[in-house]
Amino acid sequence: MKSKKIKHLFRVIFSAVTAFLMFFPILTVIMGGFKEKGQIFSDPFGIPRPPTIETFVEILGSASSYWVLLFNSIFITGATISIVIIFGMLAGVGLSRIKVPGQQLVYNYFLLGLLFPLTVAILPLFLQLRSLGLIGSRFGVILIEAAFNLPLSIFILTGFFKNIPNELQDACYIDGGTIFIFFRKILIPLSTPVISTVTIIVFVASWNQFMLPLLVLSDTKLYTIPLGVMQYQGQYASGWNQIMAFITLSMLPIAIFYFILQKYVVEGLTSGAIKG
Amino acid sequence: MISYTKEGAKKNALVFILFIAPAFILFTLFVVTPVFQGAYYSLFNWKGAGPLDKEKFLGLDNFIKLFHDKYFLTAISNNIKIVIYSLCFQLPVAFIFALLIGRKSFTGSILFRSLYFFPYVLTEIIGGVIWKFIYNPQFGLLTQFSKFFTDAKNEIALLGNPDTAFGAIFLVIFWKYIGFHMILYIAGLQGVPRELEDAAVIDGANGMQVIWNVILPSMRNVITISVFLSVIGSFNVFDIVWAMGQGGPVHSTETLVTYLYNFGYKRFAFGYGSAVAIVIFFVCLVFNLLYQKFIVGDKDK
Repeated sequence: MKSKKIKHLFRVIFSAVTAFLMFFPILTVIMGGFKEKGQIFSDPFGIPRPPTIETFVEILGSASSYWVLLFNSIFITGATISIVIIFGMLAGVGLSRIKVPGQQLVYNYFLLGLLFPLTVAILPLFLQLRSLGLIGSRFGVILIEAAFNLPLSIFILTGFFKNIPNELQDACYIDGGTIFIFFRKILIPLSTPVISTVTIIVFVASWNQFMLPLLVLSDTKLYTIPLGVMQYQGQYASGWNQIMAFITLSMLPIAIFYFILQKYVVEGLTSGAIKG
Repeated sequence: MISYTKEGAKKNALVFILFIAPAFILFTLFVVTPVFQGAYYSLFNWKGAGPLDKEKFLGLDNFIKLFHDKYFLTAISNNIKIVIYSLCFQLPVAFIFALLIGRKSFTGSILFRSLYFFPYVLTEIIGGVIWKFIYNPQFGLLTQFSKFFTDAKNEIALLGNPDTAFGAIFLVIFWKYIGFHMILYIAGLQGVPRELEDAAVIDGANGMQVIWNVILPSMRNVITISVFLSVIGSFNVFDIVWAMGQGGPVHSTETLVTYLYNFGYKRFAFGYGSAVAIVIFFVCLVFNLLYQKFIVGDKDK
């Protein structure tokens, strides 16, 4: 009994220490934003004394690019998710609920995409966007991000739709419905869990995407958060308290998203991996 | 599946096309086509403009040039190092963490788990910049430690030194992705049959034997996936390296993708850059095929 208690205690202490170590870099940044310029150099890892919110106020004020970055990131991620969900669901239904020859072939064709990381295609994509006049446009980023998120999403959605009993579809047809009505009235309402999984996967991928917007967007007014952070830390190279505050604000959206929905996020991202 | 419409196969096919078309077009245009275009470009000396004519055709010269370039060889060996370090350090540590904290829940265990996982969700660029601060030579953590414990006043510049920069960056990769693998293993541990473990203990197996003979074999699926993702991910590392030094100092932390960016895109050498992309693709493809054949396929026996 006694050894069990010691084991338990060890487990708790071990977890707490490692969790602290894992979170320490993030804690450093958050505290750094609240420090005055002098303290960030003299005591970079300590508690802010006295804490100041001045730097945050400055960044949230009109002179800074923060709101522009936030808007761009929300716009690009939102549009990417919408396209992936709509196109992915349509394709998923086509691949699972309509009986046609060659269906499996089309499905395998989409799965081929799981083998192509974005990095492999980036140079031809750049040229392609240039010829389409989409360099320097958010839509260029959105279309490509959506395209690269389709394979895994189609895989997950098709798998989910395949498991919906045929009886439901038969019942719908007997009542005079078509595949469109079945899709709208039955499949969509049943799909909430799988839609949220796909949304989470695409959200994280698109929100954090750096290389693609780096190549496509040159106007800083169109920059997303990752590009903005990179630019800001170059600009304020010595003002680490400013960089820290900027980073803290920049990770706020994904941190809120994560800590509110953490159960779904962890499940969504790992199940996406396991199924993929 | 039974046929649902009386109107017959023709109408079915039409509806099918209607449903598939948007995704099919987007996917073909932006995912499949560029990969083939890249393969084609890689045979030319091309700046991304003008016709691809015979004069610019090089055959496989770009690839030969690649493997004679010292920075390319640095890049590919860095990628291989990331693979080896990840498999030898990151994944085993993730597994030990999962064993220690993933089996029983206790007060705070959910919070701890979400703290471990958070770096994985965090934007790579942000993670990289944070660690640049921690490694700062003037006031960074190591400099502070060395000033505290020794009389030495010298600054420790891990990222500025070609000998240490890569190791420092690997530590960030370790930090960024370990939580993901740990959560995978925790999920895998739920599938280990408790009775088997108990039976092994009754038969006198010690802790290591239980882990080796009972737990690891039952987690085979999850470990297979985790290794696969780790290897493929290692060959596509870009953001963190970019945030911490853009492949420098003196190209010592170059990876295949930063090399592609620095030597292909930046110099408008689209043929040469595409050859790098094809190498990345080829490495991932070969690994994938071998892995499917020998590791994934093997488990059916």
